[in-house]
Amino acid sequence: MSTSNPSRRRSLTPYFLIAPTLVFLAAFFAWPMVQGLILAVHDDEALLPLVAVASVEGDRTGELSQGAAVEILGQQGNTIEGELTSDLLTEQWFRITGVGTDGAAVDGWAPETRIRVRDEASDGTPLAGTVRPRLGEGAEPFTDVLAEPNERAEVTGALDDRAEVEITQVTVLEVWFNVRGQSNDGTTIEGWAPSRFISAFESGEEGRVDRGSDGEFTLRFVERMFNDRFFSPALRTTLLLMAIILPLQFLLAIGMALIVHSRLKGGSGWLYVFSLPMGMSDLAVGILFFAIFTSNGLLNSILDLFGLIDEPQVFLSADTRGWIIGAIVLAELWRATSIVMVIIVSGLQAIPDETLEAAELFGATYWKRVRYIMLPLLKPSLLVALILRTILAFQVFAVVIALSGGEIVTVLANETFRQYFSLRNNNVASAYAVFILLLSLASSVFYLRIVRTQDELASR
Amino acid sequence: MTTTSPAAKTTVEERKPPLTLGRIVTYGAAATIGVWILFPIWFLFSLAFTTPDEVRSFPKSVFPFTPFSTETMEFFLTASGVGAGLVNSLIVALVAVVLSTAIAAPAGYAIARYLFPGRNIFRLTVLAVRAFPVVVLSIPLAVLFIRANLFDSIISVAIMHTVLTLPTTLLVIASVFASVPYELEEAGQVFGASPWQSFRHIVLPLVLPGIAASAVLTFVLSWNEVFAASVLTIENRTLPALILASLGNSSPAFQFAGGFFLMIPSIIFMFFIRKYLFNLWGQVSK
Repeated sequence: MSTSNPSRRRSLTPYFLIAPTLVFLAAFFAWPMVQGLILAVHDDEALLPLVAVASVEGDRTGELSQGAAVEILGQQGNTIEGELTSDLLTEQWFRITGVGTDGAAVDGWAPETRIRVRDEASDGTPLAGTVRPRLGEGAEPFTDVLAEPNERAEVTGALDDRAEVEITQVTVLEVWFNVRGQSNDGTTIEGWAPSRFISAFESGEEGRVDRGSDGEFTLRFVERMFNDRFFSPALRTTLLLMAIILPLQFLLAIGMALIVHSRLKGGSGWLYVFSLPMGMSDLAVGILFFAIFTSNGLLNSILDLFGLIDEPQVFLSADTRGWIIGAIVLAELWRATSIVMVIIVSGLQAIPDETLEAAELFGATYWKRVRYIMLPLLKPSLLVALILRTILAFQVFAVVIALSGGEIVTVLANETFRQYFSLRNNNVASAYAVFILLLSLASSVFYLRIVRTQDELASR
Repeated sequence: MTTTSPAAKTTVEERKPPLTLGRIVTYGAAATIGVWILFPIWFLFSLAFTTPDEVRSFPKSVFPFTPFSTETMEFFLTASGVGAGLVNSLIVALVAVVLSTAIAAPAGYAIARYLFPGRNIFRLTVLAVRAFPVVVLSIPLAVLFIRANLFDSIISVAIMHTVLTLPTTLLVIASVFASVPYELEEAGQVFGASPWQSFRHIVLPLVLPGIAASAVLTFVLSWNEVFAASVLTIENRTLPALILASLGNSSPAFQFAGGFFLMIPSIIFMFFIRKYLFNLWGQVSK
């Protein structure tokens, strides 16, 4: 792009002008991309740390993996970290006042298991109750009252069985489990974890780590992608389509560009028609070619018109993968050749008329001018078009869905979509996305390398 | 003027090459490619404007439109969800146009008019973002929007489309500004206009058509985009996402009318922006 006499003053103005773009791209491009890369190799819920006491401040005793079997040794309440959601396993604690065993007034906390509520406000808030007696011989006759709603808190007093108390405050605590299980390195560890991460079996004595609260870097999702049964068909089809489409497309595009460039009558009309598919939705083009290849579509109608078939042929079915691939190739040729053509025409326009006229004066035929002048000078444009089309070819999606339903013939973009949308597996979907990104980068670098090597060979 | 224009026309005609065999072949090739591009569109057009019975029939007339009817198109437009999808598509496209033009125009001006340290890095970054795969960006953005409770909202689709179109808009606007000689701006200032006045009264009128063309292009890109829209929404689908989701369980009449309906904006708008197509791609290779 030429800058016609841009201002050479050093000033901050251009930075102010580009700032909104930078901020927007940072927020909605760079940041999500980094997150996406991490998602592909990081399991946010892989590990569940256990702590020595039922508190977030407790010392870590070790980590259990997601899915590990655990023994549940005990439970107690703890302040809820984060939001109170309905699926949490909770217990209530009451702040109570009453007369203690020593006759003095007592004020403190006790769990709901120790207090029977006798009086409630109209909205269900407990107002008063009595201390539950402990049953059995030799049972502790007193109930401790604690300074905080926590079993480890300091004891502030004790109450007799059946003592009457007033309930002044209610708090909801999340249940923590004391569990024992095997960590990854095979050692048995014991510790506390919030119950939300553990699904307890019916007995209440055994359970399983449902999900972890700590992440770990893992290649699990990448492996799952490679082992997915649709992975290699998708990759093979994507590469096959590319190998068929790109050469045909470039031949056609160069032809179209030479036609547009050869100053036919009605110049911009031809350009309009030739570039028409460029602005079209890939989904619409997929539907368009479905209308052609479907069993009562255009192709069968034409064959029937010339008496070539007795009854409509089925082109788009599981038994006719070749026809589906052919239909996708035609649809992509129809749809995406225009953009290559426009890039090449831009390149042709940059070739000075004098150069071509000089060649003509020296007797070069049209084909010689194309072969020895235009094409070499078009190399940068062709390279740009090739990189762009390759990147786009890795993303082919709606055309394939429209023509094959996404099952019989599948491509990488479709698998990304399936993992994300149907299987709800963001991590594997991200792994696919990263894979497509790496393929795109690798092919771009590959093209640039080839061109540079050629240039080096030529300059020798 | 009226006396000179016929003469000017003859000189242009004279410069045209004579009709040789090569020219005839060129016209033949051009016509063939024209038919290859136009005939499928014509076929879908005729399916969209006939009766649903004709859509199901076989064999179809190769030169269809028999009988001409708006029934199929009406069937599509009145199908459940299509109205809402259309409104969503329009809102998303308009928000994307406004956002990407508003954000990109100043940056485009900066690239065209200023030489500043970092200018090339900035341009290359923008180019890289433009070549970036939609598929790759959609998934992380969807996850991010879920965390931000913006999932299944058309705002999230609009933001995604703005990311997709911003680089193109920026480069087009930059090339449009670059095509207006800086001397014009300077001349304005020499004659006593403030920098803002000379921008407002000299540059702006000259670049508005180009900026309008880039806005049209943004609109078409957003209108067409289906992958990100399908990933980011479930209930509040845009029109292409809705059609894609219903491909498996809708009638051919619905699909063909829907397919043609999706093509309409590009058919109209490409006509107006065809001159600017080279602004879109011309500068990439330099």
